[in-house]
Amino acid sequence: MTNPPGVISLRNVTKRYRDTTALDGVTLDIEGGKIYGLLGRNGAGKTTLMSLLSAQNFETSGDVRVFGEHPYENDGVLARVCFVRESQKYPDDFKAGHALKAASLFFPGWDAAFAAELVDELQLPLKRSIKKLSRGQLSAVGVIIGLASRAEITVFDEPYLGLDAVARQIFYDRLVSDYAEHPRTIILSSHLIDEVANLLEHVILLDAGHVIIDDDAEAIRDSAATVLGAADAVASFVEGRTVLHRETLGTLASVTIDGRLTEAERAGAAYQGLELLPVSLQQLVIRKTKKQEHTERASASPIRTGARQ
Amino acid sequence: MSRVVKVMQMQLINRWTFLGVPAVILVVTFLLSYAIWVIVPGDGRVYSGATQAVLWYFLVLGIQSMTMTFPFSQSMGVSRRTFYLGTLGLFAVVALAVSTIYYLLGLIERATDGWGQNAQMFALDWLVGSAGVVQVLFYFVAMVALFMIGFWFATVWKRWQTRGMLVAWIGLGVVALGLVALTTWQGRWPQVGTWFAVQTPLSVTAWTALFCAVLAAGSYLTLRRATP
Repeated sequence: MTNPPGVISLRNVTKRYRDTTALDGVTLDIEGGKIYGLLGRNGAGKTTLMSLLSAQNFETSGDVRVFGEHPYENDGVLARVCFVRESQKYPDDFKAGHALKAASLFFPGWDAAFAAELVDELQLPLKRSIKKLSRGQLSAVGVIIGLASRAEITVFDEPYLGLDAVARQIFYDRLVSDYAEHPRTIILSSHLIDEVANLLEHVILLDAGHVIIDDDAEAIRDSAATVLGAADAVASFVEGRTVLHRETLGTLASVTIDGRLTEAERAGAAYQGLELLPVSLQQLVIRKTKKQEHTERASASPIRTGARQ
Repeated sequence: MSRVVKVMQMQLINRWTFLGVPAVILVVTFLLSYAIWVIVPGDGRVYSGATQAVLWYFLVLGIQSMTMTFPFSQSMGVSRRTFYLGTLGLFAVVALAVSTIYYLLGLIERATDGWGQNAQMFALDWLVGSAGVVQVLFYFVAMVALFMIGFWFATVWKRWQTRGMLVAWIGLGVVALGLVALTTWQGRWPQVGTWFAVQTPLSVTAWTALFCAVLAAGSYLTLRRATP
């Protein structure tokens, strides 16, 4: 099924908890039919944002639209959204298999055969009580529900906690192959940015309740570069540009700059004997969020420390 | 509507919780009571209050079906209203079934001369004079009341945590104290006594039903803004 353009739209959405602002006037359009990466530090507002999409939590002000409607008390919309939390609670009297059975009731696109394959690959003990599952097995329950539900909007909130490297790779592989066969909107929130960077088609970076990047993964990869070379040559090259990060080692300097370089500029850099290195998504996220905090501190505005709930 | 039915199915995925445990409690408490009647020689009528055991389990069930299943239902894309209707609907069916069983067991009890032991467990003296439907309704509202008490407290907990519990308990305490004080100052205790004395199974059922309705409405309004 192909989604119409704009499956999710947030307009000036603010979410305040008692003493923190988790989201601060966020306006965001998610076109859909892609794998989105929702990145940001702890407390940046990721979980809050995801909770609003499935009306598990409520915005303090602003408007949230999912498939053109507000998701609150809207079974029609909610049936098309699957959001398993990182710290998802399950009924104490459930066995692992019970949770999957429940998911098969509620998600119209549920694929039982696919779920069974995943159970097998991730070695989930279906007969074991949920309470007795290890952290990794608990994550596996969430991963299986998320994948096999084939919900039109599927949200994974740090789905890999406690999963070993093999299980994580299985998740990534299965996600990509199943997504290729059944295109849908996938939102993946992750701290392991390098691990998921290749999966992501679009990146949304949150910092202290603000969206600071919302762009194609491809475009983002070109949106910054690290210039490496003799310190004075580097200094003159980056003159007038936004510097995200600066390192010097003796007479050598390595400076990460924000902004796309033109062909001419690239040629100029090569002429001056400067090396241009691509910036990995993880690096960029670190540089951007640090810069943001730096600017905030400089402008003496209070540093928000969002709390996840 | 179909999702309401699915919530019922979800609550029944582990059949023990809503069906198995109440059945076991009922059977075991009956057998234990029966053993006591046989072992302990009694002259005249012997009583057992063991029918209450299932009712207290329903209080726990009310708490559990909220605290444990609500957060999960949220991840299943179930609206709060659907969760509420499905959970209460299922419980109503279970409570009606158990009430009917109590009534039928009461009939058997009387027909067999108290299980052959001159015992009284299901056919309460106070109740047997009433019509069958009133007896079933009485048990039904008693069960629903306990379930709703558990459910409502759990909803308050889910929405406001410790603060909510404190306010709820203190509030209840203050209201109860206020009523006692008012009755005392007005010298109305005799009237209160008379009022209780004239209650019939039907009127008690009606008052309990009213209490259930208030708790049900309160739970729904509280749940509407609760987060998992």
